Amino acid sequence: MEIIEESQSGINIYRLNGRLDSNTSQGFEKKIFQAIDDGSKSMIIDFKNLDYISSAGLRVILKATKALKREDGAIMLCDMQDYVKEVFEIAGFDSFLPIVGTMDDALNAF
Amino acid sequence: MAKNKVSFKLKSNLSELDALCQNLEKFGQSLGLSKKCIFEANLALDELFTNIISYGFDDKNEHTIKITISLQNDELVFNIEDDGIPFNPTKVETPDLECTIEECRIGGLGIHLAKNLMDAVCYQRCKDKNILTLKKNIKETHPQKKKVEG
Repeated sequence: MEIIEESQSGINIYRLNGRLDSNTSQGFEKKIFQAIDDGSKSMIIDFKNLDYISSAGLRVILKATKALKREDGAIMLCDMQDYVKEVFEIAGFDSFLPIVGTMDDALNAF
Repeated sequence: MAKNKVSFKLKSNLSELDALCQNLEKFGQSLGLSKKCIFEANLALDELFTNIISYGFDDKNEHTIKITISLQNDELVFNIEDDGIPFNPTKVETPDLECTIEECRIGGLGIHLAKNLMDAVCYQRCKDKNILTLKKNIKETHPQKKKVEG
């Protein structure tokens, strides 16, 4: 999986390309938590080019969301493809994770 | 005419998830299965394969996990066979999904997804092998409550 990082108005944006599974989630977790350790409080994950996610990916996102919340920070998840969103729904994560439609919706939330 | 059955072996390494995906997609496309069906089957197999690698072996040796997929009438039948310690993933507790983000326990999430995406998940221990049999009706488009045995 490829992770494209950028920053906009102090928000860390991660654009994911490919597949987030138990193999690729470790690298993603490292990146996100490095940013949190460095003081990042606002994050957006762009799912537009993410074709697949498994429980390992959900786990990293949940962990990051909890960690940011503890620091009074926030994360937004945007532009999910249908099948990927369905995984969050089956897991019940859509009831408490901030999933929005577009990148603009995510940026406007901050 | 497309073959109705395929078998392949994976090493006990998470990097094999790509091979799992490729084998499944190739077979699925040859049968004209929907993208949704292939996605869901891939995810269920991924979760169980990951669990087997994570919990199913008590040594550092490389093991082989054999996967067989066949289409029988409108039903996909998956067999996952490994030679690890006795491990039944269907016995793992299903997580409490009504929880808040603070309370949410993450254990058992993979199995929960696999059970939801398949119509039946069945475990047996046979001749020192763990054998998981999963079934998925290819005419379904939405996950439903599933029968679980073993």
